[in-house]
Amino acid sequence: MRLFWEIARRSFRRHLTYRAATIAGLITNFGFGWLRVSVLLALYDGRSVVEGITETDLYAYVALTQAVITYLALFGWYDLMESVHTGEVGADLLKPMGYFQFWLAKDAGRAAVALLLRGVVIMIFFSLVFPMSYPVSWVQWVWLGTAVLFSWLVSFAYRFLVNLAAFWTPNAKGISRFAFIFAMFFSGFLMPLRLYPDWVQRLAQWTPFPHMLNTVVEIYLGLLQGPALWQALLTQVVWAAVLAVVGQLLLKTAVRRLVILGG
Amino acid sequence: MKHELDLYRRLLGVQIRSQMQYRTSFLFDAMASGLIVLTEFGSVALVLQRFENIRGWELAEIAFLYGLVELSFGFMDMLFSGFDPPNFGRGVRQGTFDQLLLRPINITAQVLGSDLQLRRLGRITFGIGIFILALTLNDIVWTVPKLLYLPIVIASLVAFFGGLFIAGSTITFWTVDSIEVMNMLTYGGSFTISYPMTIYPDWLRRFFTYVVPAIFLNFFPTLYFLGKPDPFNFPVIAPFLSPLVGFSTLWLALRFWRFGIRHYQSTGS
Repeated sequence: MRLFWEIARRSFRRHLTYRAATIAGLITNFGFGWLRVSVLLALYDGRSVVEGITETDLYAYVALTQAVITYLALFGWYDLMESVHTGEVGADLLKPMGYFQFWLAKDAGRAAVALLLRGVVIMIFFSLVFPMSYPVSWVQWVWLGTAVLFSWLVSFAYRFLVNLAAFWTPNAKGISRFAFIFAMFFSGFLMPLRLYPDWVQRLAQWTPFPHMLNTVVEIYLGLLQGPALWQALLTQVVWAAVLAVVGQLLLKTAVRRLVILGG
Repeated sequence: MKHELDLYRRLLGVQIRSQMQYRTSFLFDAMASGLIVLTEFGSVALVLQRFENIRGWELAEIAFLYGLVELSFGFMDMLFSGFDPPNFGRGVRQGTFDQLLLRPINITAQVLGSDLQLRRLGRITFGIGIFILALTLNDIVWTVPKLLYLPIVIASLVAFFGGLFIAGSTITFWTVDSIEVMNMLTYGGSFTISYPMTIYPDWLRRFFTYVVPAIFLNFFPTLYFLGKPDPFNFPVIAPFLSPLVGFSTLWLALRFWRFGIRHYQSTGS
């Protein structure tokens, strides 16, 4: 546990140093948020509420989704894959801790920086500029926080799994791009899932992707209450566990295939 | 000039051959870049089943705007890969750009020939797909001027965004890193004009009309092709300003590029 904490802390500090990139990213993030809100508002065109989502909810939806792009690495994450291609993986596998836990710790540091410097800042930015909605009680804030944490677990377990492709093929990057695009679509990043036709929503429910992002959105907007909320949080945990276990199993086969070239 | 064109062709030949060495990788990358277009447009199309239109624009009409921008931007992104600001900035940082300057050959031809991202073909293909969809779904009254004007509009879009790429790269002579404001113009700009300009707040539309006149590239020509009335009551010449905006942007960018080259001081790496 101590080791986990140390690695996470170091990763946190390393990611904290990229300040210029953070500011640059914030500008783009905010700008695109503005454009996305315009499109959604134009779609509503005066309707005050659709499927339980109000106009002020739209601002909150866009703010939230823009805020977690880096936190959940929605546009793709290839760190583990690159370490396999460079051979660093050899040293990592020798570390006195599980390979999954090692990367979990590293990603925890990265995600924490992203959540603080990108996530929170973007939410504040949006709340200053737009009339967006907020959770109505402190209990809802607590559930939101829990869901945000769980969403990272689901996302990490999925990204770990996808990155293992690097053990099999040098074309892993191309393949994983597909995996991330599917995740982005079904997570409800492009549009709130509730606004899609029923069949798309049903299809999405069979995948882990809504639990990366859409659950967070729906808890924030208060669309999930009581038993539905509990069920959503539980499903997040289950998916994180399932993906982690599959990752572990796959890792066993992967490591057996691994050949590191000296040099 | 003939010598430079010949050289440009050779450089591109090298690029194509080298990227084709990794055929599987290329195929995956190309399909992924196409899939992004498909999911992004798909999400709008799916949501439109519920809302039916965006401020009076139906899916077929939006597909016209959207497809036109996607295919042109994709084509530009491939043709001007060498001027993609983040990549170009890396060359400035690492000093590889200095190597190009030492060769007694036109520098613009060299940079253009230094990269040709073939995987953008995925994006182009899906962009064309969306555009063809738009052509079949809309009842467009085709006339000879319209047929002649369509390729000019596409070329103007390519020239405009190519100009932004060149300007963005030139800025890295001073900033070393590519700057985010420029990205907002290129990627934010192409996003903006993929939708009808009527949906944006007034200040944003004025910005894209009078400061960066991107509204003339795509929106007004689309009104002309589809025979839609102009909601802003601009002069009747508005749909035909596309080449003026596109090519003067490219021309200005090239002027700025030459100015940049004259004042370029290497990073020394």
